[in-house]
Amino acid sequence: MDLLEEKVGGVTVVAVKGRIDSTTAPALGERLTASLAAPKVHVVLDLSRLEYISSAGFRILLLAAKRADETGSRFVLCGVSGKVRQLFDLGGFLDLFTIVGSREEGIAAAQ
Amino acid sequence: MSAIDITIVNRGSELARVADLLDRLGAEHHLAPEVLADMQVALDEVVTNITEYAYTDNAEHKIHICFRVLDNVLEAVIEDDGAPFNPLAIPGPDISKPLRERRVGGVGIHFVRSLMDEVAYDRAGERNRLVLRKRFKT
Repeated sequence: MDLLEEKVGGVTVVAVKGRIDSTTAPALGERLTASLAAPKVHVVLDLSRLEYISSAGFRILLLAAKRADETGSRFVLCGVSGKVRQLFDLGGFLDLFTIVGSREEGIAAAQ
Repeated sequence: MSAIDITIVNRGSELARVADLLDRLGAEHHLAPEVLADMQVALDEVVTNITEYAYTDNAEHKIHICFRVLDNVLEAVIEDDGAPFNPLAIPGPDISKPLRERRVGGVGIHFVRSLMDEVAYDRAGERNRLVLRKRFKT
Protein backbone atom coordinates (compact mmCIF):
# COMPACT_ATOMS: atom_id res chain seq x y z
CA MET A 1 0.00 0.00 0.00
CA ASP A 2 1.22 3.49 -0.88
CA LEU A 3 -0.20 6.66 0.61
CA LEU A 4 0.06 9.97 -1.18
CA GLU A 5 -0.93 13.06 0.76
CA GLU A 6 -1.67 16.44 -0.77
CA LYS A 7 -3.06 19.72 0.45
CA VAL A 8 -5.67 21.26 -1.81
CA GLY A 9 -6.70 24.58 -0.35
CA GLY A 10 -7.71 23.75 3.20
CA VAL A 11 -8.38 20.10 2.42
CA THR A 12 -6.02 17.20 3.06
CA VAL A 13 -6.36 14.59 0.33
CA VAL A 14 -4.93 11.15 1.10
CA ALA A 15 -4.82 8.81 -1.89
CA VAL A 16 -4.43 5.09 -1.25
CA LYS A 17 -2.82 2.81 -3.82
CA GLY A 18 -2.75 -0.96 -3.46
CA ARG A 19 -4.37 -2.91 -0.63
CA ILE A 20 -5.68 -2.22 2.82
CA ASP A 21 -5.40 -5.46 4.77
CA SER A 22 -4.28 -6.43 8.25
CA THR A 23 -0.66 -5.85 7.23
CA THR A 24 -1.12 -2.34 5.84
CA ALA A 25 -4.07 -1.04 7.88
CA PRO A 26 -1.92 0.19 10.82
CA ALA A 27 0.05 2.57 8.54
CA LEU A 28 -3.20 3.99 7.16
CA GLY A 29 -4.48 4.35 10.72
CA GLU A 30 -1.40 6.35 11.74
CA ARG A 31 -1.76 8.62 8.73
CA LEU A 32 -5.46 9.29 9.32
CA THR A 33 -4.92 9.85 13.04
CA ALA A 34 -2.31 12.47 12.17
CA SER A 35 -4.52 14.09 9.53
CA LEU A 36 -7.49 14.24 11.91
CA ALA A 37 -5.49 15.25 14.99
CA ALA A 38 -6.65 18.88 14.97
CA PRO A 39 -10.37 19.74 15.29
CA LYS A 40 -12.46 21.06 12.38
CA VAL A 41 -10.16 19.80 9.63
CA HIS A 42 -11.19 18.53 6.19
CA VAL A 43 -9.89 15.19 4.97
CA VAL A 44 -10.66 13.35 1.74
CA LEU A 45 -9.62 9.72 1.34
CA ASP A 46 -9.27 8.87 -2.35
CA LEU A 47 -9.82 5.12 -2.84
CA SER A 48 -9.86 5.10 -6.65
CA ARG A 49 -6.62 3.12 -6.84
CA LEU A 50 -7.44 0.76 -3.98
CA GLU A 51 -7.50 -2.92 -5.00
CA TYR A 52 -9.31 -4.30 -1.97
CA ILE A 53 -9.94 -3.69 1.71
CA SER A 54 -10.42 -6.24 4.49
CA SER A 55 -12.22 -5.79 7.81
CA ALA A 56 -8.96 -4.59 9.39
CA GLY A 57 -9.13 -1.66 6.99
CA PHE A 58 -12.79 -0.94 7.67
CA ARG A 59 -12.03 -0.81 11.38
CA ILE A 60 -9.52 1.99 10.66
CA LEU A 61 -11.98 3.88 8.45
CA LEU A 62 -14.73 3.66 11.07
CA LEU A 63 -12.38 4.96 13.76
CA ALA A 64 -11.42 7.88 11.50
CA ALA A 65 -15.09 8.71 10.80
CA LYS A 66 -15.88 8.56 14.51
CA ARG A 67 -12.92 10.78 15.32
CA ALA A 68 -14.04 13.30 12.65
CA ASP A 69 -17.57 13.27 14.08
CA GLU A 70 -16.30 13.99 17.56
CA THR A 71 -14.00 16.85 16.57
CA GLY A 72 -16.25 18.66 14.11
CA SER A 73 -14.09 17.56 11.18
CA ARG A 74 -15.14 16.38 7.74
CA PHE A 75 -14.01 12.96 6.54
CA VAL A 76 -15.09 12.16 2.99
CA LEU A 77 -14.38 9.12 0.83
CA CYS A 78 -14.20 9.21 -2.96
CA GLY A 79 -13.41 6.80 -5.79
CA VAL A 80 -15.27 3.88 -4.19
CA SER A 81 -15.92 1.61 -7.16
CA GLY A 82 -15.72 -1.96 -8.44
CA LYS A 83 -14.46 -4.57 -5.99
CA VAL A 84 -13.97 -1.98 -3.25
CA ARG A 85 -17.58 -0.78 -3.57
CA GLN A 86 -18.75 -4.40 -3.40
CA LEU A 87 -16.88 -4.85 -0.12
CA PHE A 88 -18.37 -1.64 1.32
CA ASP A 89 -21.80 -2.91 0.30
CA LEU A 90 -21.27 -6.42 1.72
CA GLY A 91 -20.21 -5.04 5.07
CA GLY A 92 -23.09 -2.53 5.19
CA PHE A 93 -20.59 0.34 5.21
CA LEU A 94 -21.92 2.45 2.33
CA ASP A 95 -24.30 4.41 4.55
CA LEU A 96 -21.81 4.91 7.36
CA PHE A 97 -19.53 7.24 5.44
CA THR A 98 -19.87 10.35 3.33
CA ILE A 99 -19.03 8.91 -0.09
CA VAL A 100 -18.82 10.94 -3.27
CA GLY A 101 -17.74 10.08 -6.81
CA SER A 102 -14.63 11.97 -7.80
CA ARG A 103 -11.72 13.51 -5.98
CA GLU A 104 -12.97 16.98 -7.02
CA GLU A 105 -16.39 16.24 -5.55
CA GLY A 106 -14.64 14.98 -2.45
CA ILE A 107 -12.71 18.20 -2.04
CA ALA A 108 -15.92 20.21 -2.58
CA ALA A 109 -17.84 18.03 -0.09
CA ALA A 110 -15.15 18.31 2.57
CA GLN A 111 -15.18 22.11 2.52
CA MET B 1 -3.81 -29.10 -11.07
CA SER B 2 -1.15 -27.34 -9.13
CA ALA B 3 -0.63 -27.04 -5.40
CA ILE B 4 1.64 -24.95 -3.26
CA ASP B 5 1.84 -24.69 0.50
CA ILE B 6 3.25 -22.44 3.16
CA THR B 7 3.69 -22.72 6.91
CA ILE B 8 3.60 -19.54 8.96
CA VAL B 9 3.67 -18.83 12.67
CA ASN B 10 0.90 -17.10 14.61
CA ARG B 11 2.09 -13.54 14.13
CA GLY B 12 0.22 -10.88 12.18
CA SER B 13 3.35 -9.93 10.30
CA GLU B 14 3.34 -13.33 8.59
CA LEU B 15 0.30 -12.44 6.50
CA ALA B 16 2.35 -10.55 3.95
CA ARG B 17 4.11 -13.82 3.03
CA VAL B 18 0.79 -15.53 2.45
CA ALA B 19 -0.46 -12.64 0.27
CA ASP B 20 2.76 -12.71 -1.77
CA LEU B 21 2.49 -16.44 -2.36
CA LEU B 22 -1.13 -16.12 -3.46
CA ASP B 23 -0.16 -13.29 -5.81
CA ARG B 24 2.51 -15.47 -7.38
CA LEU B 25 0.09 -18.36 -7.80
CA GLY B 26 -2.47 -16.03 -9.34
CA ALA B 27 0.04 -14.62 -11.82
CA GLU B 28 1.19 -18.11 -12.78
CA HIS B 29 -2.37 -19.21 -13.52
CA HIS B 30 -3.57 -15.88 -14.95
CA LEU B 31 -6.34 -15.66 -12.39
CA ALA B 32 -8.63 -12.62 -12.66
CA PRO B 33 -7.86 -9.79 -10.19
CA GLU B 34 -11.37 -10.07 -8.70
CA VAL B 35 -10.90 -13.76 -7.93
CA LEU B 36 -7.54 -13.09 -6.32
CA ALA B 37 -8.88 -10.11 -4.37
CA ASP B 38 -11.73 -12.19 -2.93
CA MET B 39 -9.34 -14.91 -1.81
CA GLN B 40 -6.87 -12.36 -0.40
CA VAL B 41 -9.59 -10.73 1.69
CA ALA B 42 -10.92 -14.09 2.91
CA LEU B 43 -7.43 -15.26 3.89
CA ASP B 44 -6.69 -11.99 5.65
CA GLU B 45 -9.83 -12.47 7.75
CA VAL B 46 -9.22 -16.15 8.51
CA VAL B 47 -5.53 -15.86 9.40
CA THR B 48 -6.10 -12.70 11.45
CA ASN B 49 -8.79 -14.51 13.41
CA ILE B 50 -6.42 -17.37 14.12
CA THR B 51 -3.47 -15.21 15.17
CA GLU B 52 -5.66 -12.97 17.36
CA TYR B 53 -8.08 -15.41 18.95
CA ALA B 54 -7.07 -19.05 18.53
CA TYR B 55 -4.32 -19.18 21.14
CA THR B 56 -4.40 -18.41 24.82
CA ASP B 57 -0.73 -19.17 25.48
CA ASN B 58 2.24 -17.10 24.36
CA ALA B 59 3.91 -19.95 22.50
CA GLU B 60 4.66 -19.97 18.82
CA HIS B 61 2.21 -22.03 16.79
CA LYS B 62 2.32 -23.14 13.20
CA ILE B 63 -0.45 -22.41 10.73
CA HIS B 64 -0.39 -24.38 7.53
CA ILE B 65 -1.98 -23.14 4.31
CA CYS B 66 -2.24 -25.10 1.09
CA PHE B 67 -3.41 -23.50 -2.17
CA ARG B 68 -4.64 -25.50 -5.11
CA VAL B 69 -5.73 -24.38 -8.52
CA LEU B 70 -8.15 -26.90 -9.96
CA ASP B 71 -10.03 -26.71 -13.28
CA ASN B 72 -12.16 -23.73 -12.32
CA VAL B 73 -11.62 -23.45 -8.58
CA LEU B 74 -9.05 -21.68 -6.45
CA GLU B 75 -8.86 -23.47 -3.12
CA ALA B 76 -7.16 -22.67 0.16
CA VAL B 77 -6.97 -25.10 3.08
CA ILE B 78 -6.00 -23.49 6.37
CA GLU B 79 -5.01 -25.68 9.33
CA ASP B 80 -4.18 -24.57 12.84
CA ASP B 81 -3.87 -26.15 16.27
CA GLY B 82 -5.74 -23.40 18.10
CA ALA B 83 -8.98 -23.52 20.06
CA PRO B 84 -11.87 -25.12 18.14
CA PHE B 85 -13.47 -22.44 16.01
CA ASN B 86 -16.10 -22.97 13.35
CA PRO B 87 -16.63 -19.71 11.44
CA LEU B 88 -19.76 -21.17 9.86
CA ALA B 89 -21.41 -21.30 13.29
CA ILE B 90 -21.06 -17.57 13.94
CA PRO B 91 -24.15 -15.42 13.32
CA GLY B 92 -23.86 -12.67 10.71
CA PRO B 93 -23.21 -9.06 11.76
CA ASP B 94 -26.04 -6.65 12.42
CA ILE B 95 -25.31 -4.25 9.59
CA SER B 96 -28.32 -2.07 10.41
CA LYS B 97 -26.82 -0.63 13.59
CA PRO B 98 -25.64 2.98 13.55
CA LEU B 99 -21.97 3.83 13.25
CA ARG B 100 -21.15 4.28 16.89
CA GLU B 101 -22.69 1.00 17.92
CA ARG B 102 -21.17 -1.06 15.17
CA ARG B 103 -18.65 -3.75 15.85
CA VAL B 104 -16.50 -4.74 12.92
CA GLY B 105 -15.85 -8.07 14.58
CA GLY B 106 -18.39 -10.17 12.74
CA VAL B 107 -17.80 -8.51 9.39
CA GLY B 108 -14.63 -10.44 8.64
CA ILE B 109 -16.36 -13.79 8.84
CA HIS B 110 -19.29 -12.37 6.89
CA PHE B 111 -16.81 -11.41 4.15
CA VAL B 112 -15.36 -14.91 4.09
CA ARG B 113 -18.77 -16.53 3.72
CA SER B 114 -20.00 -14.01 1.14
CA LEU B 115 -16.91 -13.83 -1.05
CA MET B 116 -16.24 -17.57 -1.21
CA ASP B 117 -18.39 -20.01 -3.16
CA GLU B 118 -17.77 -22.75 -0.64
CA VAL B 119 -16.55 -22.80 2.96
CA ALA B 120 -16.13 -26.05 4.87
CA TYR B 121 -14.93 -26.59 8.41
CA ASP B 122 -13.90 -29.64 10.34
CA ARG B 123 -12.09 -30.33 13.55
CA ALA B 124 -9.70 -33.22 13.14
CA GLY B 125 -8.05 -34.24 16.41
CA GLU B 126 -6.48 -31.10 17.82
CA ARG B 127 -6.64 -29.18 14.57
CA ASN B 128 -9.06 -26.78 12.88
CA ARG B 129 -9.28 -27.30 9.16
CA LEU B 130 -11.00 -24.68 7.03
CA VAL B 131 -11.46 -25.08 3.28
CA LEU B 132 -12.18 -22.01 1.14
CA ARG B 133 -13.15 -22.38 -2.49
CA LYS B 134 -13.56 -19.66 -5.09
CA ARG B 135 -14.82 -20.60 -8.54
CA PHE B 136 -13.64 -18.81 -11.65
CA LYS B 137 -14.30 -18.99 -15.36
CA THR B 138 -11.56 -20.36 -17.53
